[in-house]
Amino acid sequence: MKFSVPIFDVKNLSFVLKEQTILSNISFEIFPSEYIAIIGPNGGGKTTLVRMLLGLEKPTNGEVKIYGKGLSHFNEWYKIGYVPQRASLVDGSFPATVLDIVNMGRTSQRRLFSTLSKSDRTFVHDAMQKMDILDLADKMVGTLSGGQRQRVMIARALASNPKILILDEPNTGVDAASQKNFYALLRELNKKDGITIVFITHDIGVIADDIARLFTINQKAIICNNPKQTLSCEEMSSLYGIDAHLLHNHRHEH
Amino acid sequence: MLEMFEYDFMQRAFIAGIIIAILASISGTFVVLRRYSLIGETLSHSALLGVAVGLVAEFNPLWSAVLFALFAAWLIEYLRSAFSLYSDAVLAILLSGSLASAVIIVSLGGAFNNSLFSYLFGSILAVSSDDIVVIAVFGAISLFLLLLFSKEFYFIAYDEEVAKTSGIKVDFLNLLLVSIVAIIIALSIRVVGSLLISALMIIPTIAALQFRVGFLKTVLISLCIALLSVFSGMTLSFHFSLPSGATIVLCVLFIFILSLVINRR
Ligand SMILES: Nc1ncnc2c1ncn2[C@@H]1O[C@H](COP(=O)(O)OP(=O)(O)OP(=O)(O)O)[C@@H](O)[C@H]1O
Ligand SMILES: [Mg+2]
Repeated sequence: MKFSVPIFDVKNLSFVLKEQTILSNISFEIFPSEYIAIIGPNGGGKTTLVRMLLGLEKPTNGEVKIYGKGLSHFNEWYKIGYVPQRASLVDGSFPATVLDIVNMGRTSQRRLFSTLSKSDRTFVHDAMQKMDILDLADKMVGTLSGGQRQRVMIARALASNPKILILDEPNTGVDAASQKNFYALLRELNKKDGITIVFITHDIGVIADDIARLFTINQKAIICNNPKQTLSCEEMSSLYGIDAHLLHNHRHEH
Repeated sequence: MLEMFEYDFMQRAFIAGIIIAILASISGTFVVLRRYSLIGETLSHSALLGVAVGLVAEFNPLWSAVLFALFAAWLIEYLRSAFSLYSDAVLAILLSGSLASAVIIVSLGGAFNNSLFSYLFGSILAVSSDDIVVIAVFGAISLFLLLLFSKEFYFIAYDEEVAKTSGIKVDFLNLLLVSIVAIIIALSIRVVGSLLISALMIIPTIAALQFRVGFLKTVLISLCIALLSVFSGMTLSFHFSLPSGATIVLCVLFIFILSLVINRR
């Protein structure tokens, strides 16, 4: 794995906001087809970290490289599907049907002057099928429940046929059965299609078997290269106030 | 009612009015969804400053209106991106600054007369054939660009950050959108007037939003509302010798109230 070019190469990343250190000196690499889970307490800086990976936030120090390039030189953004944390908080009166929203996932890959092609439509249809929202296609997003809306946002990310999925607590408010399906879908996307996944979640126990590595973020980062050896991870995580017993307990249920 | 079309100036006014209704309502949809409503108000006053300069320097005020509105649009975008200064306050300062400068320039230049008044509130008598050509050419370019990038503008309006991370050139398109809006506002100033144009941009869309339908239908409803208001407003303006901008805006408002009543739940 060390021989392939990392998708993300993060070196000495720090983020300071009004003299308050949010993240300090974080370094890691993420390789193709890895499934990374990011955990950490509220306010620990997970969202901030991911926003820096995507160029939405400028680091105070350090550098993010993506496919070996600085963010401003990278021009293959269409490979990235991103579901932000606040995805369900949209203006309820926005004139968009569910289909309008999922179609957005194809926008950046269209050619000028062209409308949605047949393959675009197939991607959109498949993504909606995977998130089980086909029957909502013509509903206005403003009328959906929070969990339904969240599934629409995930479907939009999937519709872009991403090589890298970055998910910031995407399934908050999604019911238990759909969550289970969603985890199974992520596992399949990762194992079968080789999609790289960066998944911020508080629900680490359930996916512990699927992930390659676990990042614990609380101002600093602790990288667990082998999350299956839960004990050491647990010790490290608890140093930073993470309840890693969750991880432990879930393992024994299975 | 049709006898009003026997007058050349009315024909010109209607051609200009129809073009403006199309441009204002389609661009207005993006302006409202993008929460840029106040920008329209500010740009229309910058356009007025351009008119003042044009009147005093004695060249076609439409051209200088376009230039000044564009300049103001770029200044706003620059302040927003370079200093994250994008507050109502900045827009209000620019608005009153432009208006005050326009009034001073016109009074110093001795041109403070009816012609400025007609640019404030719109006049159907004032549209020349030259104006029609300018409105048609710039209008066609603006409409083309709006339609060309409509999917991108729509995505950005819904979720700017996700649009950006999916590879859409958000900064460029933001600049393009405010530039298009600036041009459309400057073009409209003769028929609708600078004090009233942003109403014609904003209100048809807000009325259309009451119907709670998808994007395409919203644009079409807003287009119909704008056309209907311009048509009825200009007719009223002709028959009762009223400033066209004011009658158009009152018609828009009337339709807006109607759409509120129809869609009451
Ligand atoms: N734009 C901002 N303005 C002010 N504070 C910010 C901003 N962005 C992040 N912060 C601060 O940075 C810290 C980290 O926030 P962040 O959203 O990254 O945490 P998180 O780990 O994602 O938390 P959660 O689990 O609640 O989502 C918080 O203390 C937050 O207050
Ligand atoms: Mg967060």
